[in-house]
Amino acid sequence: MARDKHYVIIGNGVAGNRAAAVLRERDTDNRITIISLGALLFYNRYELPRIFNGARDWRDYLVNPPAYYEDNRIVVRRNCQVTMVDTQRRCLTLAHREEVHYDSLLVASGGGANMPIALGDFEPLLNHFNSYRTAMTTAEALPAGGTAILLGGDILGIDIARNLAAHGYRVVLVPDEQLFWPHKIAPESYPAYLAVLADMGIEVVEGGPIERIEAGPKGVPRRLLTMADGRDYAADVVMPFYGLAPSLEFISGGGVDIERGLLVTPELRTTDPHVWAAGDVCQIWCVEENAYRFYYGWKNVKAMGEIAARNMTGDHETFHTFLDEALTIEDQGGLRSSFWEYD
Amino acid sequence: MNEQRGKIYVDEHEDFSRTQGRGTRVVTPVWFSTDPRDIGWVRLNIPCQAACPADTNIPAYIQTIADKRYGRSYELNRFANVLPSVLGRICSRPCEDVCRHCWPGNGEAVDICHLKRAAAELKATDHRITENLFTPTGKRVAIVGAGPAGIAAAHDLSMLGHDVTMFEREAMPGGMLYYGIPAFRLPRDVLSVEVRNALRLGVELRAGVAVGAGAGETRLRALLDDYDAVLLATGCMAPSPLPLRGNEDDAAIVRANPDVEYGLDFLMGLHRGVDKTVNARVAVVGAGYTALDCARVARRLGAEQVTVHIRTTEKYIPVTKDEIAETKREGVTIKGLRTPVSLVTDAAGTLVGVRFVQNRLGGWRANGRRQAIPIEGSEFIEPCDTLLIAIGQKTVNDYLDVDVELDRWGNVRIDEDGMTTTNGLFAAGDFVNGSSTVIDAIGHARDLALKMDTWLMGRVRRKLVVKIEPVEKPLRERAFDFIPRQHVPTEPMKTRLVDLDREAEQAFDAATAELEAKRCYLCHHKYEIDTDNCIYCNACIEVAPRNCIKLIKGVEIKQDGAYGALDEARKWNNVGAIWIDNNECIRCGACYAVCPTQCISITKNEIFYQNV
Repeated sequence: MARDKHYVIIGNGVAGNRAAAVLRERDTDNRITIISLGALLFYNRYELPRIFNGARDWRDYLVNPPAYYEDNRIVVRRNCQVTMVDTQRRCLTLAHREEVHYDSLLVASGGGANMPIALGDFEPLLNHFNSYRTAMTTAEALPAGGTAILLGGDILGIDIARNLAAHGYRVVLVPDEQLFWPHKIAPESYPAYLAVLADMGIEVVEGGPIERIEAGPKGVPRRLLTMADGRDYAADVVMPFYGLAPSLEFISGGGVDIERGLLVTPELRTTDPHVWAAGDVCQIWCVEENAYRFYYGWKNVKAMGEIAARNMTGDHETFHTFLDEALTIEDQGGLRSSFWEYD
Repeated sequence: MNEQRGKIYVDEHEDFSRTQGRGTRVVTPVWFSTDPRDIGWVRLNIPCQAACPADTNIPAYIQTIADKRYGRSYELNRFANVLPSVLGRICSRPCEDVCRHCWPGNGEAVDICHLKRAAAELKATDHRITENLFTPTGKRVAIVGAGPAGIAAAHDLSMLGHDVTMFEREAMPGGMLYYGIPAFRLPRDVLSVEVRNALRLGVELRAGVAVGAGAGETRLRALLDDYDAVLLATGCMAPSPLPLRGNEDDAAIVRANPDVEYGLDFLMGLHRGVDKTVNARVAVVGAGYTALDCARVARRLGAEQVTVHIRTTEKYIPVTKDEIAETKREGVTIKGLRTPVSLVTDAAGTLVGVRFVQNRLGGWRANGRRQAIPIEGSEFIEPCDTLLIAIGQKTVNDYLDVDVELDRWGNVRIDEDGMTTTNGLFAAGDFVNGSSTVIDAIGHARDLALKMDTWLMGRVRRKLVVKIEPVEKPLRERAFDFIPRQHVPTEPMKTRLVDLDREAEQAFDAATAELEAKRCYLCHHKYEIDTDNCIYCNACIEVAPRNCIKLIKGVEIKQDGAYGALDEARKWNNVGAIWIDNNECIRCGACYAVCPTQCISITKNEIFYQNV
């Protein structure tokens, strides 16, 4: 008996799950496995700010009920870290030395928080908000009415900032060149956007190099941020938002081309015929701009997952974004970013 | 076992001072083998040493650091390369790329390079250097060029008893070490001490004396007449021109613009004492150490925005990851997949930017580097006020007034004895191999010095042997496998970027060096099972932490006699032997401890040159 074809998807986010669903629609027989670093089934990261409304049970965030995976025969391997991909043998190695063979591989491992190298020394003192676990840790570290310092100020950070401010926390934003990333804002329109942030209750202070971040003595406030020019700010948590960096350490050296992300054609193929990529991990060749570029946001990523799955099963569709990448100021105040939208 | 193993020598290089101090002198039986199987074993099983162009005995020097015998460690380094303190800072580290510790599933490579520096810095202040001096031969050798290759050859040739005279065009010896590499990567006092130690065996250094065809310059032909042999080690001292689109004389265009300079000229000018300035936005094109050095110097000279533009991507450039990380920490941006096609100037002729074409990655080039293929019609302009070009270096040959065959890149050709097409004229380092690294040049020069000695004396006077010495017990513990890679401290940005001379990386302290040294798998330790005494009880296989002990049918015997791949037995009745797979062995000693018949032996295997 011929061995079933095995589709393996690395990454349990929007792209990975959309791809799994489309693969199952188009191929009812073969094996599909999602490999996830985390302990949870696919949950909606965009809804994590609801933690501040008191939604602290992980079940509140699940997109699909557990039965969905059973019904669709999609195996989700949780708590599994891929350490290596061998494209010659078409097999990947997990951290516990297990080898998993694939016939078609989709890399949808997304992006981790991009950290300026200078902040590396302070990593243990920083709080993230990019997964259920880190969001819970951050929420628990913040007493009611406490202070949060946000560094960088990418658009995901602005989303957290406005939610924190709306829930009565004091929010201090130390902007960097990643302010509003990945939106591109003309320097002359900065004042208008900063005014909107001030209306939301976010204190925007002058940016600049950061000298150090220290843990305060036991009790509150717990963090002390000192700028190179001597200014200092106390807070309960310091959160970095410097954009995303693709998570692809496991595949570097695996025979597929990488610049900052996995380089893929508009059909989302990598340089290996059996490996596709989708989501924040891939840099797609953009015909209009004559350059490899990243596309972010739930809708883009979901579309990539779908197109990758279609192409893995024989189609030749190309990815085009339809997302308006402008950051707009709404009439009644407040901002609207296409990167905040999800369905 | 071969016959030579019966002979017992006392290793005259071994440092017995500690044992003598306690009044007991332990002499272990040591034998020296020239058996190709033993040499082959070392070559095959010590990947770091095999990757080192200078053949440095890496596991041995790391193990002596773990033993806190820093002086011995420094000496072990110095046998292979005469400038350990220098290479402990700026080496390109081919060893760390192949370290068994960074093989899949084993974690990160040992910080081999910085341990070399640690040994040099932690050795006693009154440490005495050991030199294996030969009697004077009366032969006179001239060396042209006092760069890394020239210095390494000068040291080895003078050690072998020849009278060496070095000719150096610049005022200071060191070549690219002095005039190319910035002081924040290689402090000049460190370089000066190491160079003096290398040349103190009687090498006559004539600095400021140019060999060439110009007025007042020494003629190469005259050197050939005056000396028994001449070694050319003039390196690659001309920058490769930037190929611009549609222009015949690119070098002239570059030279005509005051804001455009070759990186090599920029760095050499700086180190000759010229006051160099850069504008606010600096673009560097090139992907090697020179390009990154230019960018880092530009940051220290006050440039606000420094960008290094490379043709492929960061992953494929021949620079260590640490170097890239430090460069980025200093605020330099690296942008990939682009090739410069023309300079952009305003009406007044001032540089305002560089036009690039977008690349995609192609196949692999013969030299193992990645190809970049320009994409038609994808040009774009990156604004900048200063452009530094560091896309490579090539040899300068206009001083050659004798018949020497060159290849198409202008590198000189040598035969297998190291000689050029002119009798008595040898060449070494980058002048032969093209622009490469310091350790490549030193390794090549060392090899050449031996070949010159053979030619001068008419016989081989040093031969390669493997020193094999029993090891009493395993020196590693399983706990060592869980020590993470240690990192050297670095200078904070605040003080770093204001000073061209302040060293960016600092040395390991003794405690950290010991931790890092313990991570080494000690690949020079060979664990062997004596199959005559083995009772096939399987105890070692059961206790092994990995799949390192195997039941085999047989072993591949390579052409040189060395053992190759293992043919594993699938069934019991096929088992011919029980074998420790040295590729998997992490020298934990678990098998040694559990063996009921004590049939597992450990030996230390090191390559040395023995005088004959």
